[in-house]
Amino acid sequence: MTSGINMLCFTACYAIALTLEALGLWVRAPGRRLVAVVATLTGMVAHTWYLAARAGQSPWAPLSSVHDWYLAAAWTLALAYLGFVLHSPRALSGLFLLPVTLGLIAAARWSSTEPIASFQAPRVWGQLHGIFLMLGAVAVLVGFVAGLMYLIQSSWLKHKRPSGERFRLPSLEWLERVNGRSLAAATVLTAIGFVTGVLTRLAQRDAGGLTWSDPVVASLSGMLSWLIAAECFRFAYPAARRGRKVAYLTLAGFVFLVITLSAFMRGGAMHGTTPDNGDAPLETAPTRLSPPQPEEAGKNASPQAGSEAP
Amino acid sequence: MILQMIGCHHRASGVDVRERLSFGKEQTSDALVRWRERFPEAELALLSTCNRVELYAVGSAPETAPPAEELIDALTSYHGLPAKGVEGQLTSLAQREAVAHLFRVAASLDSMVVGEPQILAQVKQAYQRAVECAAAGPALHDLFQSALRAARRVHNETELHKHRVSVPSVAIADFASRVFERFDDKRVLVLGAGEMADETLRYLKDAGAAKIRVANRSWERAATIARQWEGVATPWEHLWDELAAADVVIGAAGAKGAIVTAAEFDRRVARRRQQRPLFMLDLAVPRNFEPDVGEQLGVYLYSLDDLAEACERNRAARAAELPAAERIIQIEADAFMAAAHRRLAGPVITGLRRNLEQPKQAELERLFNKLPQLDEHARSEIEQFADRLVNKLLHPPMESLRDASQEGPPHGLLEALRRLFRLED
Repeated sequence: MTSGINMLCFTACYAIALTLEALGLWVRAPGRRLVAVVATLTGMVAHTWYLAARAGQSPWAPLSSVHDWYLAAAWTLALAYLGFVLHSPRALSGLFLLPVTLGLIAAARWSSTEPIASFQAPRVWGQLHGIFLMLGAVAVLVGFVAGLMYLIQSSWLKHKRPSGERFRLPSLEWLERVNGRSLAAATVLTAIGFVTGVLTRLAQRDAGGLTWSDPVVASLSGMLSWLIAAECFRFAYPAARRGRKVAYLTLAGFVFLVITLSAFMRGGAMHGTTPDNGDAPLETAPTRLSPPQPEEAGKNASPQAGSEAP
Repeated sequence: MILQMIGCHHRASGVDVRERLSFGKEQTSDALVRWRERFPEAELALLSTCNRVELYAVGSAPETAPPAEELIDALTSYHGLPAKGVEGQLTSLAQREAVAHLFRVAASLDSMVVGEPQILAQVKQAYQRAVECAAAGPALHDLFQSALRAARRVHNETELHKHRVSVPSVAIADFASRVFERFDDKRVLVLGAGEMADETLRYLKDAGAAKIRVANRSWERAATIARQWEGVATPWEHLWDELAAADVVIGAAGAKGAIVTAAEFDRRVARRRQQRPLFMLDLAVPRNFEPDVGEQLGVYLYSLDDLAEACERNRAARAAELPAAERIIQIEADAFMAAAHRRLAGPVITGLRRNLEQPKQAELERLFNKLPQLDEHARSEIEQFADRLVNKLLHPPMESLRDASQEGPPHGLLEALRRLFRLED
């Protein structure tokens, strides 16, 4: 039974949670945080349902399309929000994490639902490629959010500002730890994702090696190079493992991620094709580069996983 | 119940009087035993802290309750002081005023630092000591239990205790805890061994600090305070090494100028620390750390002035909670007094019930003898009818007693009932 479950359901749940978190800045309402967590959990259930329905429809799912990839990343980030709340229940982590989650859902809304071309390759490599890159992107995003919170908290402490009753953030020590681990995890996961991507490409029939002109490959290579450089810098220079320097490294990582995701969003479905031999996405479906019209959205987005699903 | 409180506290008495009247643990027990002999029919409890010395006495009737003058004499004569010597410095409260006062004390509304948590434990100890000395009875038990309940309500239903107001507690709870997640694995260095160092160490210890180093120019004093807080005394000459290794540094040493200058810190400490976070709290006047030390990366330096705003804000937040806390105290005091007054009516109610039960039983027996053909069901119905009738007859006087108890001891009504129903004592 998937009737009634569409993107609007979980988007609304996350938006309610974000509104409640923001309300905490002005209003002291007992149970507000609990309701926000319940709204997020409800959203995650609907989100899982939607992804499961998508997986049931496509032999290459999950992560077989740019749309699914963004939604899976949003789901993982919502889970990270719950982790933050569990660790620091009084901190306003949702104010930082939930907008990014909603941003990923918005990106999914305007992305192609067609299978990515590289999924013509053996399924296992394609899946691993998608999963590791998705996890690497989420790690960068978590690091970015932790870095942002670190810089705000650090600035307040430097300026001797007392902690507001309504705007609390986790301690610098914890944020620094999350920051450092996110950066390390992002490097490892992105590297594995990149290697599996290369293997995916090599396993494709008639593939002519890596296409560096592919914007996704080029931007991903740039991001991976940055992450590896940042890790080497942290390894060689102990001061870079601490404080604001880690935060700045993760913020820079986020910039690279935004470039990669933009490239992915614009030409994700063509990612993995070889212009020379005319490789096209699976089933030769046209790649949607512009936002879907309401009628199209009705056909391609929510209903695929919604009421019309078998 | 006749309740009397005699004592001195920080709002009405000078510290010299409080010092002369204060009781140590042993003295409290000894005094209670002595006073128990002097007032054998009264229940007694003594609360002695830095800010107050208060003697609570409860008698079951006016004639058995010790008068205020006797209690003042007991309190002063124990220390060999003439009562005239503390005249005008002692407070005397009775009945509801005394109840509300104890409730306010337990809830920390009467403390020098409103909302400080230690007083509740001290009230508990005072009652416990009275019990151990066989000086407390059911009346004091009810009184102190109600005081603890009132304090718990204030704690749970208001935010009075959430706002810290002393400089070290604000520094640890509002600032250091935003830098560090935990303190048990952090190295704490304390410069100085005075009162401020001692108080700050108490809060740090409460926060979990376990690796404590104390540096002081006087090695003996450093060793004493280090021993007290399970830390290690370190020679003053090792100051720069200790600064390089520390996570939290408390400056509470007396000095004519800054002990740690920005230039020296930069030269001898900063490079070795590699920007590792350092929380520095300067509680000394003149300051132990030059303000520019706080400009170093990873260093979070706070002086007394920096924390004053937070302390003031917390004081204001506490003040905002006071009306709600006072309302709870009034409600609890009213409830306690009403319950105490109702207990006065206990013997009269028992007598009333007995006076009606006896004729009921006699009439039932007579009826059952006259009607032997009645089966068990019929008998039971008749008995229930009689019970209901007695209860309904008792209901109006009971209600009147309850209503009268809300306003004070219902002596007039009780006397009227005694005479109307010919109740014997």
